[in-house]
Amino acid sequence: MNIFELKIWDDERSKCTFYTVQWIDTEISETDKFLIRYETSHSDAIQQLLSFILKAVGEDHGAVDALFNRFENEVVGLPNKGNARLGEFKYHYPEFPLRLYALKITDNIVVLFDGGVKDGPTNQASSLQGKWQEACHFAKRILEEIRDKNIQVDEYNKLLTNHLGESEIII
Amino acid sequence: MKSKIAERILNSTPKDVEIYVRLYADLVVRITDILKEKQMTQKALAENLGKQPSEIHKWLSGDHNFTLRSLAKLQAELGEEIIYIPQKVIYTHYIEGGVKTMHMTVVKNSAKPSIDTLYIESTPQPLADVI
Repeated sequence: MNIFELKIWDDERSKCTFYTVQWIDTEISETDKFLIRYETSHSDAIQQLLSFILKAVGEDHGAVDALFNRFENEVVGLPNKGNARLGEFKYHYPEFPLRLYALKITDNIVVLFDGGVKDGPTNQASSLQGKWQEACHFAKRILEEIRDKNIQVDEYNKLLTNHLGESEIII
Repeated sequence: MKSKIAERILNSTPKDVEIYVRLYADLVVRITDILKEKQMTQKALAENLGKQPSEIHKWLSGDHNFTLRSLAKLQAELGEEIIYIPQKVIYTHYIEGGVKTMHMTVVKNSAKPSIDTLYIESTPQPLADVI
């Protein structure tokens, strides 16, 4: 109860390893729950968001500050702030319908949580509130474990390990 | 190891969406890096461009639609190239018994090289291998 695993979600990108969290009594990670929940109703947004995370961050730049700039207490909301128009293509990131919450450990290690639809001016005033609070809770506990050295940050290999140097991290 | 669900969605993503998202991120990171390198504040950039600081903040943090014209203004003011357009060049290679002409597209821009890439690029290679 209230125990979760911090596990690798994607470690096949050159610039960043992505972790996720999964309640110990469930079969699916919080980030995969988010994808499944919105892959049909918000398919375009999910595709953009996933390209942003796995391609732009994972393969091109890492989790640099310019791309992780939507600070919301302990977590950041993805995608980053910003929009752009190139020729006929126009994307409105400020009006982007979805938010996925994340915790940046380093430029090369990121933990992804759950998220939802941004349907209000603030997290508190939208249906995201519960997911945002939950993400902040996960993030606080992970940061505490890092501070207490129960989780080791291996920047060279872009990995997190437990205090024994093993990949299994239960919190 | 990767999420099977993420992999499935990524595989169904149109190529233009992926290209756009990556280009957009490249622009944001490039402009931010140039400002840092030149130790230029958004306020100074605004003054130089004759604009309000709030407008430049919008350019760099989200509420501006980049157009070719705004990118050109930024590029002129920052004194650094922000985007590159690949150009085709003709390369003539002399071989025994004749001349072989090749057409090549030269692409200048690429993601910021990692330390590993820099190491590989600095390793001398025989000219024949390079060609």
